[in-house]
Amino acid sequence: MLKTRIIPCLDVVKNKVVKGVNFKNVKVMGNAIEMAKFYSETGADELCMLDINASYQNRKTFIKTVESIAKVINIPLTVGGGISDLSDITNLLNAGADKVSINSAAVKNPNLVRQASLVHGSQCIVVAIDAKRFQENFRVVIKGGRELTAKKLVDWALHVQKMGAGEILLTSMDTDGVQEGFDVEMLRSITSKLTIPVIASGGVGKLEHFYKGHLTKSTGLLAASVFHSGKYTIRQVKRFLDQKGVPVRL
Amino acid sequence: MKKKIIGLVDGQSGNIGSIKKAIKDIIQDKPYQLKIIQSDFNPNSFAKIILPGQGAYATLISNLKKLNIYKSLKIYLENNFPYLGICVGMQILSDVGYEEKITKGLGIIQGKIKKFDKKNLIIPHMGWNSLQVNQEDKVLTSSFNEKDFYFVHSYIFEQAKKSDVLATTKYGKNFPSVVKKGNVYGVQFHPEKSHKNGLQLIKNFILNS
Repeated sequence: MLKTRIIPCLDVVKNKVVKGVNFKNVKVMGNAIEMAKFYSETGADELCMLDINASYQNRKTFIKTVESIAKVINIPLTVGGGISDLSDITNLLNAGADKVSINSAAVKNPNLVRQASLVHGSQCIVVAIDAKRFQENFRVVIKGGRELTAKKLVDWALHVQKMGAGEILLTSMDTDGVQEGFDVEMLRSITSKLTIPVIASGGVGKLEHFYKGHLTKSTGLLAASVFHSGKYTIRQVKRFLDQKGVPVRL
Repeated sequence: MKKKIIGLVDGQSGNIGSIKKAIKDIIQDKPYQLKIIQSDFNPNSFAKIILPGQGAYATLISNLKKLNIYKSLKIYLENNFPYLGICVGMQILSDVGYEEKITKGLGIIQGKIKKFDKKNLIIPHMGWNSLQVNQEDKVLTSSFNEKDFYFVHSYIFEQAKKSDVLATTKYGKNFPSVVKKGNVYGVQFHPEKSHKNGLQLIKNFILNS
């Protein structure tokens, strides 16, 4: 039976894992390579890392960090942040990423998803979508939640699936950082329509939240703070889910 | 003592970094050396060959032909030399693949590669899933029964002979996740991404097969 994936996410600046809301009050949580190794060894099913401060100068250091992390883990690695074209994707895959996560660049140029999946295969193209409630709908936002677009979430998710995305990583800007649980309603709005896997992101604060995330039919559950702060270990989360009857890799 | 050579085929189908690292870790202090195969080769000079693959069946076959690897590999396999095919590297052992277009495979292990066809199944099959070991083997020992491995694929090995299937995995239905004929092995999952169990399996292939 397919297991629900627990995925720690590392927000990385150069080679440090940071935590901060909208780039404010950024706090260093630890060394990215050491943390990645720790999660790989303590039961993470996959690892996600994002270059949250992508700039020309920092990019080289970030790529080096990806290379170093790929060397110390033996679980799948998804890398995102700062991807604007096909060469960025190729560089990350060459550095050792198994999948790349495309966000704003896909909104600006949906054809990038098609090109990337044709060149590298759908299995390594994750489209990250940030969304929030707007009037009666969920709408796609870009630039870390600062810019609302005209795109409706469900339409956009179906579109990128058609363009060749292998997976969708959905972050709710309404619940992200609040630690009151995943955005169940938002997740359901797309898992009920898509045929590709969905990773839930944004809002985990308690063990129960992972279970509620699983019930949305998301096959991956992503969290950052609860793991980085040491509030929960991955094993604790998995034991909890196991007791609830959720298939996990123990 | 002359070192035996492990060949790792770079079919330009996904990056080979993880598997390269796994092999290197396993063979350090052992009488083996690793060579990356990027063009035609002498089938008699390799003790083992590993071929990882991602992406489409048709693409991998055409890459292997373009790089002049295909013919040497076919001779190697027809000689029943030890081989481990990973993901699409497993699938191309079959007679034919239906991904993108109908493509003739290496024809070493009977079967056809077809898309998961069950309704309401999330595709690709992505994540950790367990093996049911049907036949114990020196590479796939019974200790792997019910153990989890990392899968990512949309196509499966269909119409395989029961005797060629060492293990199955359930996703929508049971499909072959490990096939074997003689010394030729194929695994649908990615052992190089499957933490300790995956590394153990690669180790068994290199040291025991």
